[in-house]
Amino acid sequence: MIWAKEETLPRSEIEAIQLSKLKDTVRYIYDRVKPYRDRMDAAGVKPEDIRTLEDLKKLPYTYKADFKENYPDGLFAVDKKEIVRYHASSGTTGKPTVVGYTRNDLDMWLNNVARIACMGGATAEDVAQISFGYGTFTGALGLHGGLEKIGASVIPMSSGNTNKQIMFLKDMGVTLLVATPSYALHLGEEIRKRGIDPAKDLKLHIGLFGGEGMTEPMRDEMHKVWGEQFVCTQNYGMSELCGPGVAGECTELCGMHVNEDWFIPEIIDPDTEEVLPPGERGELVVTCLGKEALPLVRYRTGDMTRLMYEPCKCGRTTCRMENISGRADDMLVIRGVNVFPTQIEEVLLKIEEIGPHYEILVERKNRLDVMTITVELIDDRLLDSYASLSELEGRIQRALKSQLGLATQIRLVAPNSLKRFEGKAKRVTDLRKDGL
Amino acid sequence: MIRQISVFVENEPGSMLRVTSVLTEAHVNIRAISTFDTPEFGIMRLVVDEPERAKESLTAKGFVTRVNEVIGAELKDEKGNLNQMLKILADGEINVNYIYSFVIREGRAPVIVFHTDDFAKAERVLKAADVKLIEEQEM
Repeated sequence: MIWAKEETLPRSEIEAIQLSKLKDTVRYIYDRVKPYRDRMDAAGVKPEDIRTLEDLKKLPYTYKADFKENYPDGLFAVDKKEIVRYHASSGTTGKPTVVGYTRNDLDMWLNNVARIACMGGATAEDVAQISFGYGTFTGALGLHGGLEKIGASVIPMSSGNTNKQIMFLKDMGVTLLVATPSYALHLGEEIRKRGIDPAKDLKLHIGLFGGEGMTEPMRDEMHKVWGEQFVCTQNYGMSELCGPGVAGECTELCGMHVNEDWFIPEIIDPDTEEVLPPGERGELVVTCLGKEALPLVRYRTGDMTRLMYEPCKCGRTTCRMENISGRADDMLVIRGVNVFPTQIEEVLLKIEEIGPHYEILVERKNRLDVMTITVELIDDRLLDSYASLSELEGRIQRALKSQLGLATQIRLVAPNSLKRFEGKAKRVTDLRKDGL
Repeated sequence: MIRQISVFVENEPGSMLRVTSVLTEAHVNIRAISTFDTPEFGIMRLVVDEPERAKESLTAKGFVTRVNEVIGAELKDEKGNLNQMLKILADGEINVNYIYSFVIREGRAPVIVFHTDDFAKAERVLKAADVKLIEEQEM
C-alpha cells in the first residue's frame, strides 16, 4: 500500500511542490529565526532570491553546533504555547539537542512515518511491538504514532527485558517488530535459544528497523534468525529533521525513498561544502519543508550516502538514498543511540582521579554493541583498597550512563600507557564490521 | 608498624615483571609480595627494605604507587600459630582487609602482613596476647 499520492507524482510535480514550499520556508525562517536570518544576511541572500530549486545552493548551511549555541530553543520559530511536544537527542556535549513540534508538525511527522510503515508492508491488520526505548528519543513515539495512523494495533513495549518481549510476541500474536536491527537479531537468537522457531511458532513477518543502519549481511542474518518469510526494511531520520519519517525502504529493497515533498535532500562534499551531482556519494544535507516549530534549511546531517533518482518498481517516484556508509564527523551509533566522543570527554574531564587521555573501543558482542573506555589512573590514594578502584570504575560508569544513556565498560590503565597524539587524536576504534 | 608499597598493575603478561625490574635496578630488596586475581587491573603490594626509594623509582617510571602502613606480626613456625593470631583479631572484632606473608627470612620466624581499618586496636590485642609485632628495622 502507498500511503500518500505525493509519493507517486511525476518529478516535475514533486519539484513544483518543493519550490513552492521552499519559498515559503525561507521567507518563514528569515522572518522568525534570528540566528538563521543573521546568517542569510551575512551571506547576502534574501528570501526573494529563491526563485528556482537551484537557488537552494545560495542558502547557508545549518549545523549541529547551531543547536548547541542556541540551546534549548533559540532555533524555534514559534512561541512556546504553540508547541505540543518536545523530543531530544544527543548533543555533541552535555546539553541535548532539543526539538519541538506544533500540532501541525506532529500531524505531518506521523503521516510521514505512516508512509514509511506502509513502504515496509505494514497495514491496519498488523499488531506492532515497539521495542525502541521510549523517552525523549523520537524513534519510539514516531513509529508508535505512524503505525496508529494506519490503524495497526500498537504495543509500546520499549527496549530491554527480553523475556517480556518474547512473551508479548507470542501471546499477543505480534506481526510487526520495530527495533534497532542489532536488537532484533539479539532478540531472534534469544527466542531460538528457548526452543521457539519464529517461522512456525510466531506470527511475526515484518520488521521496521531504524536507529542504526542495517547492512546487507545483517539482513541475511535476520532471515536466518527470523525465517525467510520475514520482510525487513530500514528507515532513516533524525530528531532535528523530525525523527523517523524522512526516508524508508520499500519492499523492493533498493534504497530508502525520501519523502521529497517534505524534505529536499542534497549531497555535498563535506570538506569543500560543494554540492555534488546526482548519484555521487557525499554528505547528506536536508532542507525541511513546511515545518512550523523548527524549520531547518540545509541541515548538515553528517551521514554519508548517495541519491538515486531512477524510478522504483514499487510505483513510488521519490528519490532513494543508499544505506548510510559512514559519517562525515566522529559520531558513533551505539545501540541506536548517537554518541559523540566529546560527550564522553566532558564526563571524563570532571573526574579527578583519572587523566585527560582516553580511548574508546566499540565492538559487537552477542549482537549488541559494547563500548569500552580506557582511562589512565593518576590518583595513588585509590590503591589503599581494591574497593576504591572498583568504586571509581562504578562512578565513571554512572556518570557516562547519565550523560549518554548507555552502559559502558571502563578499563583503568597506568598513567602514560595510552597513546599521545600531536594534532588530531584518534581515540576511537570501531571493530564492528558490516554491523555484525 | 611497617610500611608497604602498593602499585597499580594491569592484568596482562609482564606487568608484575615491570615492577620488579624497576625495583631491581634501584637495588631495592623485596621482603614480601602479594596480588589477588581481579579481572582487568590489580594492586600489587610489596614490603621492601627501602619503601621511599621504591616509590621514587616506580613513580619515575610512570607507575601509580602508594606507601601506607600495615601490621607485621612475627609468628613461630609451628602449627596453629596463624590460627591463633586470627582468633585474637576475631575476638577483638577486628576486620582484616587482606593478609600476606614474607618471602624468606634467613632462618628467622615467618612474618604475616595484614591490613585493617583499626590499627590501634589490632596492635593492642595482639600485644596483649604476646604476639610479636615487627618494626621496619627488624626486617
